[in-house]
Amino acid sequence: MKKIESIDKLNALRTYLENEKAVSESKNVIVKVAMSTCSIATGSEQVMEYFQEQMKLEAIGSKIIKTGCMGLCHSEPTVEITVPGKEPVIFGKVDQKRVEIIIKDYIKLGKEVDGVIN
Amino acid sequence: MKNKQIKIALKNCGKIDPERIKDYIAVDGYKALGSCLSEKMPGDVIDIIKSSGLRGRGGGGFPTGKKWEIASKFDADQKYVICNADEGDPGAFMDRSILEGDPHSVIEAMTICGYATGATEGYVYIRAEYPLAIKRLLIAIGQAKEVGLLGKNILNSGFDFEIGLKYGAGAFVCGEETALIASMEGKRGNPVNKPPYPVECGYKGKPSNVNNVETFANIPKIINKGASWFSSIGTEGSKGTKVFALAGKVKNVGLVEVPMGTTLRELIFDIGGGIVNGKKFKAAQTGGPSGGCLTEKHLDTRIDYESLKACGSMMGSGGMIVMDEDDCMVAIAEFYLGFTVEESCGKCVPCREGNYVLHEILKKITHGEGTLEDLDKLKNISEVVKATSLCGLGQTSPNPVLSTLSNFYDEYYDHVVNKKCAAKKCRSLLTYSIIEENCIGCLQCKRVCPADAISGELKEKHVIDPEACIKCGACVSKCKFNAIVVE
Repeated sequence: MKKIESIDKLNALRTYLENEKAVSESKNVIVKVAMSTCSIATGSEQVMEYFQEQMKLEAIGSKIIKTGCMGLCHSEPTVEITVPGKEPVIFGKVDQKRVEIIIKDYIKLGKEVDGVIN
Repeated sequence: MKNKQIKIALKNCGKIDPERIKDYIAVDGYKALGSCLSEKMPGDVIDIIKSSGLRGRGGGGFPTGKKWEIASKFDADQKYVICNADEGDPGAFMDRSILEGDPHSVIEAMTICGYATGATEGYVYIRAEYPLAIKRLLIAIGQAKEVGLLGKNILNSGFDFEIGLKYGAGAFVCGEETALIASMEGKRGNPVNKPPYPVECGYKGKPSNVNNVETFANIPKIINKGASWFSSIGTEGSKGTKVFALAGKVKNVGLVEVPMGTTLRELIFDIGGGIVNGKKFKAAQTGGPSGGCLTEKHLDTRIDYESLKACGSMMGSGGMIVMDEDDCMVAIAEFYLGFTVEESCGKCVPCREGNYVLHEILKKITHGEGTLEDLDKLKNISEVVKATSLCGLGQTSPNPVLSTLSNFYDEYYDHVVNKKCAAKKCRSLLTYSIIEENCIGCLQCKRVCPADAISGELKEKHVIDPEACIKCGACVSKCKFNAIVVE
């Protein structure tokens, strides 16, 4: 990345990045996987890899992001899914099987599935 | 979990990729720094923090703006900004989560603090046992430098600021700021008398402003949204929010951020989902080994710095360990004192010897050898250690003893007079015996007893020899007929 030389350039960059984010969110399913020490210990890295694999396989436009702690230790690994036009939903205790259910039933068909944390 | 929470310090945790500076900039990252450098004089920044009412989140609760103001007043060729990331309370992980989830917010805040106080160098004192937090911090520092948000002439404002890391070996006492500074200088992590305070004479003898990770994480949001927004949240004397690490016997173990003034009941029962296995709530330890326990009668107390102090506990850094009816409060006090004895640096006598004696007496009580006189001794020694110790560690370490003594005196009494532990935690006070009517003589318990303390033949009633019994509980878990009682 280039050096940001002035406040104006920082502001311009922010506007650009905000736009880029909004455009990406309007087109893609956003998958955020909590990836702090504790989440990794419960297997969130494998969950993230499996998401990447499966979303590709299913050809769903998506952006998979690793984040910090969501604070939900009791339900790690946790994943937040945002389908364009919908509110974000957090799923807990996600394993490979649940990844498949989330993709097939929640993302593709819009059905309610188990494991949602309110 | 989401209800009743307001996320300020944790705003970006779990929302952005901590290893991408672009993600941070897209959510107003470095906007506060930009506005400070371009529109505000250092004094203006201090005024905002002062009027926001933000107080130190590491536990002490000193007003942050006031600290910055004092640091800014000293004239020195070099000043330092230090971030205290030596999180040491058992069961607390607020700082680690912030550094792992949103390292840029701490970097931005430290830079703002440098600008406000006149420092050009900052250090994060972090324990080496937080490898992922260290990795993400280093990545974030590298990225901020690359784009010119850290280093020389930031955003062409003429202001320079560098941040480095100092690693700690995980000593609890190094969370105390003078011990922390000694450790940073490569010396043994021993505290020194205050004053002079680090803001006057700190790292390398220069004015050093020390703030906790969570305190820093609040700064960019206060600058962006304004002091009055921040001070509209919370109670009279405690503004904003507090992050708590909910742990122990609570259903939803996790990291929560609630407005100051939230009650313990809301925290444990609404957000935490109540006690596991439908057990009864007994107490919550706040402030870790320096704090005290809150009980059922405190459930509706609005949590802030003052109210917790009035209850004989303290805010601390935000660890909250929930206990149920199966926890023995004497054993809990013994656990915390054991921790303090291990972690006392040994420099001053009251802390080194006093805590040791307190721990010995508590051990005596949990082993069934305590007397009523011991309870008076516990109280007296605790008060002396508190009043005469050199640093915050010793001045607070007897709190778990004093608060359990005042809230659970009956339990102590039961231990020393009746030689009973109602929670069945203190092994020496338990007796195992067989209920004759229930025993069918199946030999199961006899087979698993590692001490050969059970006698009896097949289809005959069994008997436990109390002298030989080591109280391991193996027989109880094996018996299918509820024939063994523990009292």
